[in-house]
Order: sequence, then C-alpha cells, then structure tokens
Amino acid sequence: MHKTFAISLVSAMLGFAGGPTAASAADMVFTSWGGTTQDAQKQNWADAFTSTTGTNVTQDGPTDYGKLKAMVESKNVAWDVVDVEGDYAVQAGNAGLLEKLDFSVIDKSKLDPRFVTDYSVGSFYYSFVIGCNKDAVSACPQTWADLFDTAKFPGKRTFYKWSAPGVIEAALLSDGVPADKLYPLDLDRAFKKLDTIKSDIVWWDSGAQSQQLLASAEAPFGSFWNGRLTALSQTGVSVETSWTNNITAADALVVPKGTKNKDEAMKFIAAATSDKAQAGFATTTGYAPINLDSPQLMDAELRKTLPDQKAETQVNADMGYWAAHRDKIGTRWYAWQAK
Amino acid sequence: MVLSATTEGERGSVRRDRKFGYIVPALLLITFFFVIPVLMLLMRSVLEPAPGLQNYRELLGSTTYLRVFLNTFTVAGLVTLIAVVIGFPVAWLLAIMPERWSRLILAIVILSMWTNLLARTYAWMVLLQRTGVVNKILINLGITDKPLALVNNLVGVTIGMTYIMLPFVILPLIGVLKSIDPAILRAAALCGANKRQSFMRVLLPLALPGIASGALMVFVMSLGYYVTPALLGGTSNMMLAELVAQFVQSLVNWGMGGAAALVLLLVTLALYAIQLKFLNPDRAR
Repeated sequence: MHKTFAISLVSAMLGFAGGPTAASAADMVFTSWGGTTQDAQKQNWADAFTSTTGTNVTQDGPTDYGKLKAMVESKNVAWDVVDVEGDYAVQAGNAGLLEKLDFSVIDKSKLDPRFVTDYSVGSFYYSFVIGCNKDAVSACPQTWADLFDTAKFPGKRTFYKWSAPGVIEAALLSDGVPADKLYPLDLDRAFKKLDTIKSDIVWWDSGAQSQQLLASAEAPFGSFWNGRLTALSQTGVSVETSWTNNITAADALVVPKGTKNKDEAMKFIAAATSDKAQAGFATTTGYAPINLDSPQLMDAELRKTLPDQKAETQVNADMGYWAAHRDKIGTRWYAWQAK
Repeated sequence: MVLSATTEGERGSVRRDRKFGYIVPALLLITFFFVIPVLMLLMRSVLEPAPGLQNYRELLGSTTYLRVFLNTFTVAGLVTLIAVVIGFPVAWLLAIMPERWSRLILAIVILSMWTNLLARTYAWMVLLQRTGVVNKILINLGITDKPLALVNNLVGVTIGMTYIMLPFVILPLIGVLKSIDPAILRAAALCGANKRQSFMRVLLPLALPGIASGALMVFVMSLGYYVTPALLGGTSNMMLAELVAQFVQSLVNWGMGGAAALVLLLVTLALYAIQLKFLNPDRAR
C-alpha cells in the first residue's frame, strides 16, 4: 500500500501536499490507496454522493501517513476524507491528528461496532486468507501451519511486506497459539517462527504485486487480501482460497484535523457507509460491508464469498492492541526484515 | 596605465554582476524549494522526539542500520562498476561511428530514459522472475536446470539499476571521447604501442575525467535510489532510501528519517568534494 514514495517525500516534509489544494465550498478531496479498490470507492461512494449532493469529489492518493501528518502540522489540509488502516486510525486519533466524527450526521447505529471509534468508522473490512495457484502446484496449503511448513509445501510463499496486523498473527497461529490467546502478541515467538521460513518469503508491497506474484507462480501460495484473490480468479487464474483462521482487519475512514470542508466530509462518510453504498462496494470488490443492513441488499451467491460469512474460524486482529504497539512492532519488524 | 587598468577592472566586475543577476531566479528556486525544506527536515533529526543526538546514536549504533548502509554502498558500487564497464565501449563506438549511425544508437539510449521508470522496473520484474523469459531461455538452452533467483535479491537490483544508470555513464563519456584527437592514437601506434598499451596508457588516461564524472554521478544517484531496489530487491538488501521511506511513511518517525537522510547527504557531499579535489576535469585536461 505504501508504494509511491519517492516524489512525495520532500513535499510531505513541508506540507506542500500534492494534488488539489484549497478545494472550493462545493468540492472535497477523498484519498485512498489507488488501484481497483479506489476505483470501486469512486464508483460506489463518490459518484453517488456527487449526484445526490452536487458536491464534487476529487480523488487523490495513495494514502500516505507522513503526508497526512505534514498537512495537519502545517495547517494546510488538502485531504478531507482519507481511507487508512484501522490500527493507524486509532493511533492517529489519539495523537490528535484527526477530527472527531459527527455522529449526528453519520448514523452509527447501523455500523459494525467493531470498527467504530470517536475518530473513525470502518471503510470496509477484509481478511488475510491463504491463496494458492492451483495450476502451479499439486497440493495447496490449507492452514497457516501448512503455509509455514516448507517441507510439506516447498517453494516461495508471499506475505505482506509492511508492518501491519496479519503476518505476526499467522506466524503465531501456525506455531500452535490458540486464536483466543493471540493477544498480547508474543513477538519473540512470532519472529522465531518467521525465521524458519524467511529465506522462502517473497514480500508483496501492493495488492497488484501480490496478484502478479500469484498469477505468475513466482510465489505459488501465500497470504493475501481476500478481495485481490476474488479479482484475480475473475481474470481466469485458477485460485484456491482457504479461509481457515482468516485474519480480519478493517480500513477506516477518517477526517484530518483542520480540514476546510468538515461538513462535506461528514456527509461524505455518512453516504459512503450507507447500506446501499457499502453493498455496492462489496459487490464490486469482494470485501465485506461494515453497514449491518448491507448484506440483505446483496446477491445471495456473492454474499457467501465475503469475509463476514467465514466467521467460524475467523480471527479478528486486535486494532486497539496494534494501535498501542504499532511503533514498537514496526521498528522490530523492519529490523528483522533487513537482517 | 593606472586609469585604464581601473576601468578594465570595473568593467570586468560589472560584467560579472550582470552574469550573477541571471542566476538569481534559479538560486531563489533552489533556496525556497530545496535548501530550506532540506534544512527543516534535518532539524527534525535533532529535535524529534526530543532535542539531542539520540536518533544518530540509534542509527549508527545498530547493526541492522549499519547493514543497510553497507548494502547501499555495495549496490551503488556494483552498479557503478558494471555501468562503466558496459558503457565505455558503447560511448567509444558512438564517438567514432559515422554520425548517421551514432545518432540512431544515441536516440535508442536516450529513448530508454524517457520511458516511465515504474514501467521499466516492472518489465524487469516480469523478465527476471522464476517463471520469466530470462529463466525460460536459460533452461531451454540447458545452461541451468532449475530457475535461477534473479529477482528479489542483489542480482535483481544490480541488473535493474545498471540498466537505468547506463545513459548517465554513456552520455558524458561520448563528449570526452569525441574530444580526443584520433591522431593521438595513431601516434601511439606509430610509436610501437600495441592495442592494449594504447588503450591502457593513452585512451584510458585521456578518458578518465569523463569516466570519473559519469561514475560519480551514477554512484551518487544510486545511493539515493528508491523505486528499483524496492521492487527488484529483497528486504535483506534494503537500501537507505527504503529505510527513510519506512521511517517517514510507515512508522511516521521523522526524527529517524531525517537522520538517515542527513547521513546520506553528508556521504554524497563528501564524494562531491573528492571529485572537485582530485578529478577536476579542467586540471586533468
């Protein structure tokens, strides 16, 4: 998700945020991660919002936490609503970088309470699942333990490169930690487990790259965002998805502190989290809606493939724990990777 | 005499002042959009999270980060060396070829620079991967029976970056090589030098200023490279720019990011100073 960096660095430092600045009263800027996900957000949320309210929504991206912080600090906020990772939303809210959401505009009674805080609501939620290219191997790993077993499943496997909920949990589950005993995370144990497969890991740093690695069988299996596998199988790649102990995490919608379009931002979030907008987005992407009324608006067959239907062995990443330990885990994670 | 000398001097300084005037816009641009932002970034490295040098202590005291520095120099050095070795013959050929042909080849060299960097890097990724074209050819030719690991490691970064850096060696070299009078090489041959001797003792020393400036440019550019190492390298050959990206973007730790950037800047400036001192093209010529 953090792919485009090179050019944004200096501008981010100064708060010369790229993209549109000082949107006029009937304009606002929505920033997300680009790719097929943002296309779906534009189509299902922004375009619908514009046609009902007349407010133009400019798309910008990718989301960049350094840039967001620079904007808030320099009081030159060019982004009105931003799609961020759930643990970051909690941390940034506590750090004073976000506006409190106006729940008189946003109806939180219909939203999945797991993803609602004072500063954020869910954007969509996804699962890290085990994906496998069936054409490339004779047998597919079914559990995290399989994915960490290089004797039974030799070859490269791919994992998300950036420090975020998902891989550490998978390592602990594969090492036999029960799903309800994951937190607080035993980092020593997780890294020890990860050491055993380190030379066989190819990291993906964007959703598009994960699809490329799997489709080309450069890494015939690994841990993926479920929606990317749905999209890949629609292009004709024979993908097998194992939902055993799928690990959920959510993206969140937030409003950077000091935005000039606060009212529009709140209205946009209200519209984006409405039952219809969420159902449309889920239908396009294969990610799950965070509005509790959305599922009944969706096609029954499609519903079965969404993370919210795979609840039996599901593991919810603890966003509160991650928010509190994000920096510590991140520093250790990158140091371990560089070893 | 005295009078005319003074007038001469004044005229000279007036001319110099006028020349200086023309560079003011460029200076202002650089000051406001480069020098000041960089200074602000560097300030953060000693002010965040608390005033002091703890960021530098952490950066230079950890084996992990020192390994990143080492990786950065290894990659930059390898890329520079290979780019010079491959680029020199190309530049020489371009310098001595009939203009009609050299223009065509030069256009190809330059055209590669105009293609989007990300597109070129992704192309290498596809070519070099386990199931990619390069490995398929090698296997079909019987050179290897198992696919070689050509990407997500040092090999991938070196190939991808050498390719990107080649024009920066070739272009300055052409100029220097063209300025060498072919009669000198003939003279060397007449004096009994064989091909190797006339290359090692005549052509190479004369081309050295061009090689040095091309090599230094490539080395310095490679030190700060981000996109190609991030896509073609593995995490265990992480380079400095990737480390800065992690600090700034993922960990939102600008103190450490600024410290890493300052170290990179100092190394670059030191190299530039070395070039000015020892490889001054004017003096060498």
